[in-house]
Amino acid sequence: MAHVIPYIAAIQEAIREEMERDERVLYFGQNMATSPDDPFLKQFGPARVRVTPISETAEIGMATGAAMAGFRPVVELYMAEFLLVAADQVVNEGSRFHFMSKGAVTVPMVLVAGYGFTYGWAGQHTGSIYGMFMGVPGLRVAMPSTPADAKGLMTTAIRDDNPVLFFHHYLLALTEGEVPDGEYAVPFGVADVKRSGSDVTVVATGNTVHSALAAAETLAERGVSAEVIDPRTIAPLDVDTILGSVARTGHLVVVDQATRHASAAAVIAAEVAQKGFSSLQAPISLVTALDSSIAYAEPVESFVLPDEHKIVAAVGETLGLAPLPG
Amino acid sequence: MAGENGALRQGGGTLDANVARHLLVTMWRIRAFEERLEPLKRSSTVHGLTHLSIGQEAVAAGVCTQLGNDEIVYSNHRAHGHALAKGVDMGRLLAELMGRADGCCRGLGGSMHVVDVAHGFFGATGVVGGNLPFAVGAAFASRLRGDSAVVVVFFGDGAAQAGIFAESVNLASLWQVPVVFVCENNGFAEFTPRSAHTRVERVSDLAAPFHVTAATVDGNDVVEVHRAFGEVLASASAGKGPFLLECLTHRRSGHYVGDPGGYRVASDDESWRDKDPIGRLVRRGATEGWFGEDAARAIEAAARDEVEAAVAFASASPFPDLTLPADLTYAR
Amino acid sequence: MATGYPTDDGALEAPAPERLVWMYTQMYRIREFEERVKSTFTAHPGVIRGHTHLADGAEGSIVGSIAALAPGDQILTSYRCHGYPIALGTDTKAMMAEIYGRSTGLCGGLGGSMHLFDPARGFLGGSGIVAQHLPHAAGAAWAAQIRGAGQAVVCFFGDGASKQGAFHESLNIASLWKLPVVYVMENNHYQASTRSDQEDANAAAGEPLAVKATAYSMVGITVDGTDPVAVHATVAAALARARAGEGPTLVESLVYRLSAHGNLIAPPGVPLHYPEHEAVAIFGNQAEYEAALRGDPVPRFRHRLVTDGVLDALDADALEATVREEIDEAERFALESPLPAPDSGLAYVYA
Ligand SMILES: Cc1ncc(C[n+]2csc(CCOP(=O)(O)OP(=O)(O)O)c2C)c(N)n1
Ligand SMILES: Cc1ncc(C[n+]2csc(CCOP(=O)(O)OP(=O)(O)O)c2C)c(N)n1
Ligand SMILES: [Mg+2]
Ligand SMILES: [Mg+2]
Repeated sequence: MAHVIPYIAAIQEAIREEMERDERVLYFGQNMATSPDDPFLKQFGPARVRVTPISETAEIGMATGAAMAGFRPVVELYMAEFLLVAADQVVNEGSRFHFMSKGAVTVPMVLVAGYGFTYGWAGQHTGSIYGMFMGVPGLRVAMPSTPADAKGLMTTAIRDDNPVLFFHHYLLALTEGEVPDGEYAVPFGVADVKRSGSDVTVVATGNTVHSALAAAETLAERGVSAEVIDPRTIAPLDVDTILGSVARTGHLVVVDQATRHASAAAVIAAEVAQKGFSSLQAPISLVTALDSSIAYAEPVESFVLPDEHKIVAAVGETLGLAPLPG
Repeated sequence: MAGENGALRQGGGTLDANVARHLLVTMWRIRAFEERLEPLKRSSTVHGLTHLSIGQEAVAAGVCTQLGNDEIVYSNHRAHGHALAKGVDMGRLLAELMGRADGCCRGLGGSMHVVDVAHGFFGATGVVGGNLPFAVGAAFASRLRGDSAVVVVFFGDGAAQAGIFAESVNLASLWQVPVVFVCENNGFAEFTPRSAHTRVERVSDLAAPFHVTAATVDGNDVVEVHRAFGEVLASASAGKGPFLLECLTHRRSGHYVGDPGGYRVASDDESWRDKDPIGRLVRRGATEGWFGEDAARAIEAAARDEVEAAVAFASASPFPDLTLPADLTYAR
Repeated sequence: MATGYPTDDGALEAPAPERLVWMYTQMYRIREFEERVKSTFTAHPGVIRGHTHLADGAEGSIVGSIAALAPGDQILTSYRCHGYPIALGTDTKAMMAEIYGRSTGLCGGLGGSMHLFDPARGFLGGSGIVAQHLPHAAGAAWAAQIRGAGQAVVCFFGDGASKQGAFHESLNIASLWKLPVVYVMENNHYQASTRSDQEDANAAAGEPLAVKATAYSMVGITVDGTDPVAVHATVAAALARARAGEGPTLVESLVYRLSAHGNLIAPPGVPLHYPEHEAVAIFGNQAEYEAALRGDPVPRFRHRLVTDGVLDALDADALEATVREEIDEAERFALESPLPAPDSGLAYVYA
């Protein structure tokens, strides 16, 4: 059985259900649970659900300490950029402890952060910074594109014994979709084929999955069959599913809202270039953000971002088709 | 020897001979271990950056010997003393420093990343101040579990100027968790004196504005550290919130093994020699009748023997399996 | 309407009558400008994007502080940054155009409401990340110290920002190096939807937040931020100490923000507006909010100047009418201005 809820509610649902199932799960962050009417506070009480000061370094550091001491904290950070003031805690502490202690300690915590709010939030609140973290050993990075994946990946994130960065896309917050009832976990490292096709493989993450699906629709009208793959987690990255698809289509377009050299797309392209070179019938094409900060004004903002039309154009070019008007 | 920890907790009053003796044993074990480490490091038998705590042993001994295995300690980059005093096996500690398979982290961590969960030693960290919020988090966990087990975190005077200190102390105070912040104020952060770091001389003065009860003690007087920490421990265990204990001390060795030390005034070191915590306890032991000079010498000799046994144990241990890193990067 | 130089050469005397009128004018300009920003959400939906934060209730603090500056001084602010440049004389047309994302905006539409910059007037900018401009201010003050020309820096931030590690690190260095900087904490008792006593050990203990200065051997003072004259005196004295090489000061300026933290946060498709203040919306504390409204510093200062005979009521009406015209003009200008060319940002990625 399933029910229809928004993406953001699906995340909350997974956290709530895991908190019901496992009393070691804690949930805290800024500007949450400030009033007694807060539903999490009401259900789980002030010991497990707390508002914190604006102290990202201490918030994530405390989560690390509580995790080592046997709990499973979920830290609500709101905007992904706020992680950056606590960069040491994210990349150089908890993520390394399992290794350095030869497995004696584990740090099961989830850092929940929204990203990509390209809706006038300007230079410091719109970044797509997940690429920075996918190469950090010991960290897992999940980035759902649908409500169902949002719920399933959050469940897995909470149950995982490693620190997990859970990046949700702000523009998807209210997008509704079917979500399975009750316990639902999506495994990490398993890509999802969001649309099957035979002419070209389009890999996309987060909100760009929807741009890629829209592009595939347009392409279908022109007789081009595009397969759209969402890796769902970029660490671990399901390279095999992508390679399998490219082996059939011979063409790869990778879409990413991040700037080109800090994108997951660049890593995916490198993996396919090395392991799937013989399948490729044309160079891999990357559709990423331009190397620029995000502007406030709408036309300047959208100019630097990937969109459906840019994906259609890239596919056309990769397949050697006459330029298609987007 | 380490097994006696926790049992030696002693609230107030004068020290009994047993406890005094254990403190001397603990300090000598640390001293002998680190003195032996110096040549091992210089010959690259021990590798990596190695920070010694020679001269500061009274803090580790006075604090850790009062803690049981379920009371967590977080240490910093200068961790050997804390580890030994908390009960970490000397042979396995040395094997770790030599990068061997029998090390307490199978050689993957090294001097700045020693972890021994069984003894409640949740680890050293190489990032200054990085351990402070872990302790607040672990203490929060104690409170949630309802056992109020106290968590102790060691940090240097240098760490107190890091933003993470303020964030952690504010939270510890606001949430009233059973954490004890133990500052080893040795007057230097690396090669820079405290006066170049801040206008606030006492780290305890930094805690006061956060409503954290704080005290400063002579960190080279192990009897005093033991007494002061015993009081703090009792209050923290009783749920009276966080505390900060500042121990004024002096590291007699360089910041790390190999530090040329040109930044220090020789006369300072001279004056600190008289205040060496081991010498002071030996003299005090004689006057109080806790142990005679011969007994003290025997304690030193036993410590040095234990160190040689540790060297033999660690040297015989193989290097770790090369597949280990891939297996351990993620928890399964 | 940006009449005269906004600063008073660091004079410590109480402001002269014309100066008081100037101060009231600036307070009124800020209020009127921000009321217009707020009403734009309903009058012209979609014109303002992203997140804007208003300073209504803090005008006395802003203007009192800015009035204490001397030529060559510099300021840095948080994202709640419209008021300061207005008092410094930045063209309100360019400011409104920036908030509307137009090519004629102060930053060509690249920055928006949270990221205004006007270095020519000493405004080194607003940062969108809480407290991260506190170290920038220490750096600017260090530069001033090196230049040795008697300049100083004022850094404005919120009560919540004092829980960031950057606060601790910056105030320690500023005090240690005796930097010519004044840290003005505008304590509005909320950080977004969290009350101070829920997140601050001092607030929880019922203390003023100025006590935090003691951890840095720094002077800490609490002042009524709704009274521009009191703020002026406090900040002027702090600036005098800064210039004399006596080091920084932490000024806690008590204000109450009369609007919600910011406009609604929502993805595309949801109309943006200003929600109710958190005191009412979250804590159900109507009485607290109404008391704050009664204490609104803008009409209060007008009343005081009129009562004291400094400002004639009719002159006040006239002055306000002129300000409204200025803001009408700013709004018209911004609405009529073109959007920037799509590729206009790329030239500014690198210097
Ligand atoms: C964040 C960070 N900055 C700098 C360093 C380099 N570093 C290692 S030890 C040290 C000095 C720390 O001084 P203190 O806290 O007083 O401890 P002590 O070494 O005196 O025991 C520094 C700066 C580091 N490890 N981490
Ligand atoms: C590092 C960081 N964490 C969180 C945020 C989100 N945020 C924006 S404004 C704000 C509240 C700040 O409160 P305060 O410092 O009191 O300033 P006020 O808004 O009340 O003027 C928060 C938490 C942010 N911008 N940066
Ligand atoms: Mg030190
Ligand atoms: Mg505030």
